[in-house]
Amino acid sequence: MNFIGQALIDAILLGGIYTLMVMGLALSFGVIRIINFMHGEAIMLGAYGAYWAFALYGVDPLLVLPLLMMLGAAAGYVLFKTTIAPVLNAPHENQILLTFGLGLILTNVALILWTGNERSSNPPYTFASLNFGDIVVPVSRLLGFSTAAVLIGAMFIWLKYGELGRASRAIAQDRDAATLMGINVPHMYAFSFGVSTALAVASGAICSFIFAVTPFMGFDMLVKGFAIVILGGVGSVIGAVAGSFLLAFAETAVAYYVPNGNGWSEAVAFGVLFLTLLIRPYGIAGRPAAG
Amino acid sequence: MTIALRVAAAFVLSLCSLAQAQEPIKIGVVLELSGRFSAFGHTCETGVKFASEVWGDTVAGRKIEFLYNDDQSDAAATVATLTHLISQDKINYLMGPLSSPIAAAAIGPWRQGKPIWFVPGGSTTTIEKEVGPEPMFFHTLPYAYHYYKTITEALKYQLDTTKKKVAILYVDDNYGRTHQPLAHQYFTQAGFEIVAEEVVRANSPDLNPVLTKIAQTKPDILLGIGQTTDSVTLAKQLYTRNLNIPYLIGPGSTQLREWQDSAGEAQEGWIGIAYYVPGVVNWPANKDYPRVLPSTAEWEKMFEARFKYEPNYHNLVCYINIMQLLIAIEKVGDDKEKVAAEIAKMDLMTPMGSGKFAPTGQGTLNQSFKDMMVFQRHNGKNVLLFPAEVATGKIAVAPR
Repeated sequence: MNFIGQALIDAILLGGIYTLMVMGLALSFGVIRIINFMHGEAIMLGAYGAYWAFALYGVDPLLVLPLLMMLGAAAGYVLFKTTIAPVLNAPHENQILLTFGLGLILTNVALILWTGNERSSNPPYTFASLNFGDIVVPVSRLLGFSTAAVLIGAMFIWLKYGELGRASRAIAQDRDAATLMGINVPHMYAFSFGVSTALAVASGAICSFIFAVTPFMGFDMLVKGFAIVILGGVGSVIGAVAGSFLLAFAETAVAYYVPNGNGWSEAVAFGVLFLTLLIRPYGIAGRPAAG
Repeated sequence: MTIALRVAAAFVLSLCSLAQAQEPIKIGVVLELSGRFSAFGHTCETGVKFASEVWGDTVAGRKIEFLYNDDQSDAAATVATLTHLISQDKINYLMGPLSSPIAAAAIGPWRQGKPIWFVPGGSTTTIEKEVGPEPMFFHTLPYAYHYYKTITEALKYQLDTTKKKVAILYVDDNYGRTHQPLAHQYFTQAGFEIVAEEVVRANSPDLNPVLTKIAQTKPDILLGIGQTTDSVTLAKQLYTRNLNIPYLIGPGSTQLREWQDSAGEAQEGWIGIAYYVPGVVNWPANKDYPRVLPSTAEWEKMFEARFKYEPNYHNLVCYINIMQLLIAIEKVGDDKEKVAAEIAKMDLMTPMGSGKFAPTGQGTLNQSFKDMMVFQRHNGKNVLLFPAEVATGKIAVAPR
């Protein structure tokens, strides 16, 4: 059987989900220059938010997604102002430990509130698929990819044309110059962190109907996310997109064409990262460090 | 020595033994109360606490003290916790851990003091090889090989298994790596043809590639070996793919309520094994200890009245193990060797059937509750397929 058609579809759909997963991470590092180790937990909480909305009120995860994103953005803004802003000028290790610690707290709060039992939302399209000859396109993943594409597109438009998006880009280019231009940098930092959190929450909501939701799901995603962000070039949003699809294609190809390939996918992720960094040490779309 | 001194010495000695007699009997309970396996740990904890409430707070004239500890589903934390319990608290009795990798991690510290050790879980045969022959070790749920022996017997009972093809999908973690070779062995011995064996990474978000490759081999049976998280992903993505695989088997997770709820309609047709299915088999009350070991129906009623939900197997087996321990201590006193000998020889009727311990023949000296039932999910309910004496229906092709 020729797998090529199915492999392409699987890789594209997976790439879309990876992109949404890491976009927030790329944004938070690109603008604020912090490595957010609780990004995975934001994904997890988004997944739980979508699950509970479906389980308790019958609301489709894709319908509740805008509300969850707004809540995530607000929570991210407040969290940044109260916990991360004070350590912005501290050594990076302090920032890493802070966000890592916050992530652990969120995981264990979720564990206490909801136990470790697996959950998953099952809206009507969960088990539907479109068949094109031998090629099967799961509707849930297609909807997830489409939603991710809309959100990522909206984010690019916002970055390019939106007042606050352009301000974020200005800060990412040169913080001091942005300050001199009258941009309220502390406010933009918090705002960007809120956007980053909102994107993580959105990816969690989409994941809630694709696989199991547990308090521990965030960590694996965070590790994969960091690999993608570094692969794409730290701080580069375009690079994050490229890295996501490169990784998705590599993993899918190995899964199809290498015996027991799915078991090797973690190794593939870091193997691709290693090879890319050998050729381009600053990632696909990153820039060399100044000096 | 003068008479006065002798009297004084005797008085001091008797005070010491009186003090020791007043010391509570400590039972260490080391469970996965946080971390990856916390769902199992909490259900066992509930069973232990229920047993403690039903029995009362004294045994053999002394107070009972349960020392609950969280192993955090982490090997290093387990070693630290157990070392403290054995060397500082000097426990003679231990319940848990439950999950295979964590119970395996406990072996080292356990050897420091060798308390009586109940493991209601730990299906990995690593545990059997390391501590199975120890007289203080009591394994109280099936090993991995019991699963596949039972499943293959059930399939042969329900189906014409001639030339039936089996695909095995297993997760690349301790559970999957332990179970896969045994599954391969028992299915091969039972006359099935293994046409595919694919490993998947734990927590993999996309199983489509593996499922596509498996579908190409046109198996009659798919055996999915993984913990609950991966089993949910497998059930959902398999159902979405609409592959024409007649029989689907999930040995570990299919009996769990959280798997059934998460898989939704994808659960239909999945075959699983269960050590206990509420409301199905009603074992009689123990004639000597009817208050603490009532009939199955009575125990289920008591549990639901107390906790407001239907019990599962860990609630029950942990309850039973504590009762077995307390009954033995009540009979022979707080003497570890005597208690172990008493437990090893007791043949108590329990709400889960006979609690008699016997050798497995593969290394464990004291094994109980190894018998399982095989069931299939039909319309959101369990239909028992095997053994014959409890079967309530026939095997059906998984709906697609």
